[in-house]
Amino acid sequence: MSEFLVTCVGLTKRYGQKEALSKVSLQLAPGRIIGLLGPNGSGKTTLIKLLCGLLQPTEGSITVDNSPVGPRSKAVISYLPDRMYYADWMRVSDLFDLFADFYADFDRERAENMCLSLGISPSDRIKTMSKGTKEKVQLVLVMARRAKLYLLDEPIAGVDPAAREFIMNTILTNYDEKASVLISTHLISDVEPVLDEAIFLREGQVVLHDSADALREREGKSLDALFRDVFRAQTYEGGAL
Amino acid sequence: MLGKLLKYDFRSMGKQFAFVWPAVLVLALVNRFTFGGLFQEGAADIGLPGQMATGVTFLVYWAVILATMVLTLVFIIQRFFKGLLGDEGYLMHTLPVKTWQLILSKLLCGMAACIISILAALLSVLIIVPVPAADLLGFWPELFRALGSQGVNGILAPLELLLLALAALAQCCLQLYLAMAIGHLFGKNRIAMSVVAYLAINIVMSSLFSTAAASFAALIGEQVTELINQRMEASVWGVWHSAVGLMLLGSAAAAAIYFFFTERILRRRLNLE
Repeated sequence: MSEFLVTCVGLTKRYGQKEALSKVSLQLAPGRIIGLLGPNGSGKTTLIKLLCGLLQPTEGSITVDNSPVGPRSKAVISYLPDRMYYADWMRVSDLFDLFADFYADFDRERAENMCLSLGISPSDRIKTMSKGTKEKVQLVLVMARRAKLYLLDEPIAGVDPAAREFIMNTILTNYDEKASVLISTHLISDVEPVLDEAIFLREGQVVLHDSADALREREGKSLDALFRDVFRAQTYEGGAL
Repeated sequence: MLGKLLKYDFRSMGKQFAFVWPAVLVLALVNRFTFGGLFQEGAADIGLPGQMATGVTFLVYWAVILATMVLTLVFIIQRFFKGLLGDEGYLMHTLPVKTWQLILSKLLCGMAACIISILAALLSVLIIVPVPAADLLGFWPELFRALGSQGVNGILAPLELLLLALAALAQCCLQLYLAMAIGHLFGKNRIAMSVVAYLAINIVMSSLFSTAAASFAALIGEQVTELINQRMEASVWGVWHSAVGLMLLGSAAAAAIYFFFTERILRRRLNLE
């Protein structure tokens, strides 16, 4: 029995010739809020999809809660994808039914209360909702589970600052403290205050992985400033011949 | 877990066909009084407007029947493509269920949609041209008696045909699923690649079956011919039993192969980019 919630060993994912993730090995402990930080195309979404079984690794292995990726690991993972994943015919109550049917850790009462506080009725149809409301419903579904691992793929990308605050508050006030939360984002300043740990990904490789405090102390700067240093784009400066 | 998956797939089917299946029956009922009325004894001359109305309602009926069949095919394809390989797949593949359960749920639901559509179409014909219950019920004992006199088992024979129809339906659905599963492995043009895969499966399977049949015939050709001749002489049932049995075996084998590879692709090579 490993003390770690997630263990990845030599994880590689190739799409044809392109290597999206290259020999990633990491261990994540329970009870941590972890930032998966990197620019677009650095492999954040690929790593999250591998953890929840939407992609299969080309090489390497993953265990979540001491199980390989499969029905047992999926039962303890609550995943927020970067897109809407429900069928249009459904009402909010259908989604609650579905989650209650498949996930033993789904807290329906909590989900209903969260929706009520947002002014969303269980009888509302998904089809008639705005994109923002659909995203909120999805967040409610994910955070109303008492999961061991929350995988949140870009939860604050593409939303206004007020919505960002709402999303971060929802995550922080609803996740189980014994669980770990892995948040992928490139908007570091919004998540930095809550992070216990940070993983910096660049071109499919882990370039930094440590506790947030240790990184700040060692580098003498905030994670946001460190991110800018690590991922500063190499601008073409031209130059005289 | 399969039961729970079926619950949601059947609810999705209910939403999709909520208007179409009743529409078929309602239009059949309308046609019973318009088109069906023409064949009743002592039918009055309905004149040109009446004939035009009859023609239009009959055309609408056929259009809805056609739409139902197309919708059924689209439903079978779409529930798999969108439900497992599209955005909805992000939910379905993260549920704590096994891959074979996801596929089997789609298959059973797709087959049920097809069967209900066919039954609705058959029922609509009976509504338009009503056959007295006595004729309808009296037909079967007569058929069984006739078959029985030829040595055909009147219960087993229709049962075998029913099984063959179900196996063939499963084979058709699973061929579509396998083609889509292969198509999704490609980074681009997934729909086009699914169509190519469908055609390729057709070619491979038909050449495989013809090769197998030819080898089998070459191997024990004479004995088989002799056996068939003997059976033909012995009973029609023997020939029926052998022919339907072989077709059933072929369909079931093809369906099992398609299911096996579809499951393997989705479990080991799932690629929801």
